Amino acid sequence: MMEPLEVTIYFKTPIALGFPWLYLDSLLANLKVIEEQGERYFTSPKVAPLETPDIPVKKWRDVYVSSVSIFEPSDVGFQVFQYFKKGDYPFPQGKIRKGSGFFKDFYLRVGYLPVRSIKFYCSCEKDEVERLLKKAPAIGKERNIGFGFVKEVEVKEIEQEWGLVKDGLAMRPIPVTYLKGYEDTAYLAYKPPYWMKENVTLCAVPFTRVGLSTSG
Amino acid sequence: MRRTVHEGGTIDEWLKKWEEYFVAWYDKEKVDEKVRKAVEFTNPYLDQGVVSVSGGKDSMVMLHMLASLKRDLKAFHWDHGRWLVPREVEDEVLRNIVAVAPNCELIVRSYSLGKSEVSREVWGPWYKEFFGTLRSLGFKYHLLGIRADESSRRSVRGRVVQRKEWVEVYPIYYFTWRDVWAYIFRHNVPVPSVYFRYAKLVGWDKVRFVTLFDREFEKYGAPQIDSLLSWRWKHNP
Repeated sequence: MMEPLEVTIYFKTPIALGFPWLYLDSLLANLKVIEEQGERYFTSPKVAPLETPDIPVKKWRDVYVSSVSIFEPSDVGFQVFQYFKKGDYPFPQGKIRKGSGFFKDFYLRVGYLPVRSIKFYCSCEKDEVERLLKKAPAIGKERNIGFGFVKEVEVKEIEQEWGLVKDGLAMRPIPVTYLKGYEDTAYLAYKPPYWMKENVTLCAVPFTRVGLSTSG
Repeated sequence: MRRTVHEGGTIDEWLKKWEEYFVAWYDKEKVDEKVRKAVEFTNPYLDQGVVSVSGGKDSMVMLHMLASLKRDLKAFHWDHGRWLVPREVEDEVLRNIVAVAPNCELIVRSYSLGKSEVSREVWGPWYKEFFGTLRSLGFKYHLLGIRADESSRRSVRGRVVQRKEWVEVYPIYYFTWRDVWAYIFRHNVPVPSVYFRYAKLVGWDKVRFVTLFDREFEKYGAPQIDSLLSWRWKHNP
């Protein structure tokens, strides 16, 4: 049964990010795909867009009712970790890309937040969310060098549904076509996979004032 | 506007503190003496030369210095196109150039591929078109804001470099990054506001005005930082 939840993830180490927010629906979708595909997920070439699996999150229109991450404490600013990374693999013959991918090399910068925990609001199946999140030893970027290690996951039932809007503020990117009013907009992906250009549209920016449209 | 991402504290408080530091540096390190020497050195090259201005801190300092020497100098600006430099930033750059050198003859050329997202992925055509444009301009001297302390390669290059078809001259070659920021704060030289957000995260010494989300700068970790600080321009600049 879908119910309003507050999901808190506590960390052992700071969390590194590739974008200002994390998305719970994306995290759950990723865990579900890994669960379904096993090792194949890490070894098969990711050229074609992956089908988004069924995740235990309620949908409003085609938007998942799950917020972006709320960092605690909230007044912590981004920090940058700069390091030189060099692969130990023998380089193959010919031209290879060293800026990203398997042979990623050179001087790198990671933006991270030294936060204790992150919180999400969502409308989900509690047991399934708990079960899936237990399968994530670390989240965020650069987990291989120790960022984002999870200490504990806490899932609580709450009274109100805050996955889309809380106190008049958007809690996630919401397409402006689904809104009757908005304060600030940007072109953002609004559903997983968030890297897919097809999912990018003009959306209300998280944590800015919005009014959901009830028509249409 | 409400703060939607985690940048920690306000830019204003932080900037004020650093402004004091750099202004003190300007006086203590006698930056005006360096300026005087740089202007004196550049004077013979100005009549047949063009000042290349990206809009970044170094070129803006150079333009500000030289505009006081020759009001009607020739300035060249290369517009990378909206996918590499969002229009908001480009407009600010052009406004800044005009504010610093209102009487200059400004030559602006645009990168044809900059209208397409492809320009973030491939940079071979950029070099070809950029250097082709420089050749077509036909100037004898190109005055660039290159500094010795930027890299070891630049430090051994010297202040005047003979290229195949022109001569590169570096007026602020002996300025350090502190001198440049000190000059900016002391003389209120306008620079793109994105600089300050980036400087706050990566440091005043490392901050550079480069094209955004450009794979060419992946090796320096630049696009990773762009995704955090310039996320608004990721999909639609």
